[in-house]
Amino acid sequence: MSPTIEVDDVSKWFGPVVALSEVSCSVEPGITALLGPNGAGKSTLLRILCGLTPPSRGEVRILGKRPRHDLDLNGRIGLVPQQEAVFDPLSALRFVALAAELHGVREPEAAAARALALVDLDPSVERGVGTYSKGMRQRVKVAQALVHDPEVIFLDEPLEGLDPRQRIRMIELFQRLGAEGRTLVVSSHVLDEVERFGSRVLVIAQGRLAAEGDFRAIRELMDDRPHRLRVGSDAPARLAAALLEEGVVVGASIESPSSVLVDTMRVNDLRRALAPVARRADARLLSVAPVDEDLEAVFRYLVSRR
Amino acid sequence: MSSLYRLMLATQLTRGRMAALAAVGLIGVLIGFAIGNSDPIDPDQAAFSFVDGYGLGLLVPATALVFAAAALGDPAEDATLVYLWLRPVARWRIVVASFAASVSVAIPFAVVPTVVAAGLTRTGRDLPVAALCASAVAVTAYSAMFLGLGLLVRRALVWGLAYVLIWEGFVARSGTAAARMSILVYARSLMADLADREPPRLAASVPVAIGVPLAVGVVALALTTWAMRRIDVK
Repeated sequence: MSPTIEVDDVSKWFGPVVALSEVSCSVEPGITALLGPNGAGKSTLLRILCGLTPPSRGEVRILGKRPRHDLDLNGRIGLVPQQEAVFDPLSALRFVALAAELHGVREPEAAAARALALVDLDPSVERGVGTYSKGMRQRVKVAQALVHDPEVIFLDEPLEGLDPRQRIRMIELFQRLGAEGRTLVVSSHVLDEVERFGSRVLVIAQGRLAAEGDFRAIRELMDDRPHRLRVGSDAPARLAAALLEEGVVVGASIESPSSVLVDTMRVNDLRRALAPVARRADARLLSVAPVDEDLEAVFRYLVSRR
Repeated sequence: MSSLYRLMLATQLTRGRMAALAAVGLIGVLIGFAIGNSDPIDPDQAAFSFVDGYGLGLLVPATALVFAAAALGDPAEDATLVYLWLRPVARWRIVVASFAASVSVAIPFAVVPTVVAAGLTRTGRDLPVAALCASAVAVTAYSAMFLGLGLLVRRALVWGLAYVLIWEGFVARSGTAAARMSILVYARSLMADLADREPPRLAASVPVAIGVPLAVGVVALALTTWAMRRIDVK
């Protein structure tokens, strides 16, 4: 399958601030998640891909064309921007129909109604989108990006503000669009969200491409690092000794009479071994929680590896 | 183009702007009425000076500034410009639609009160007709200029107001060569000529007084289109 998006050695700086540094990658049809902490450069990369801002260095090609000055290409891409702002006085139907009209879609109102239905919004609601909740606005933004049936869709944090049920519906919609052969680039800073896309992942951290590949490979990469977990138990000392003996932890310290902090390089092995080891040590397991699972720590680790 | 035009109308016509500019226009109308019902030494000169100073010098540029600077400036600032920019629509169409909407809303809020005020001075039919032509030409040029200013400059309202008060209000009346670079000089020339009043300093012929502001407007729209192609869109 040939790539629909090609990014070649792209850097972007704003004055002295480097937002992106020497990013090269290619994206094929299907869902690709752009994962990274806030401020990592995901939105800047998406803006460059859409042509909203030029790269300071390097080149981007979408469907073989250079964005920014190619109006025909604009007709083949859709964007869900991160910012909440929309044309507040317009109704959702009018807002999405406007997008359809500007894309030259026949029967724009009918197309807009279909796009709104895709995101579970009622096209007959006449109040302005400015009065909508954050989640409803987010869905209107998705509808305007889909109304002209684009081949490439960029979504910047599209699940933000949605409730769990809407998130599931939206992820299903993205998966359906990806399965139809469209290219979706979805940015997110939430690891669990990206896991649910079940997609290829580009990890951006500190403006650099820190890792790329299938989600499972990235997950393993992320797991293959020193982890610290807090294990709650009624016998933490006995449990710590048993875990050390088993060889699944490299260090342990008793934190309180009911918990122990353990360090491991093999987090998956530890997860599997924990229950049987606790049973053998005659210790009750009360809880297991990661101490350093925040994304910043993961991304810092990935960047330091490169 | 018509959908862009309607959108621009809707986004520019906020209640606050309409209320403020209607009040400024109403003040002009009331002053015109007061002049028409008073007994100045030279009623013609008093009426002309008022329409020149208040209408052409303040109401017309200020109204054009408020609407035109917001037309592309507000979407650029609040990041809704992306919903226009990322469509397969030629940039000049967006610019022209915004300009047309700005002129459309400036006419009832600037040109109409100026003409009504001129009529209420009760100094004949020449002054209202002259005020109509001069203010229409000025609104067109100012709207084109301030449209670009709004897109390119943050706090365009402040910069635009400084331009109106300092350049158009002070330099334009100075009689120096620099005054030829102000819209007001040409609008005043046109009004004086059509109202058969004494021509101001640096007076221009009617074709020049119409042609120069319109040419300035065309150049401003071309520059705004150029800027739209190169702008960093939020």
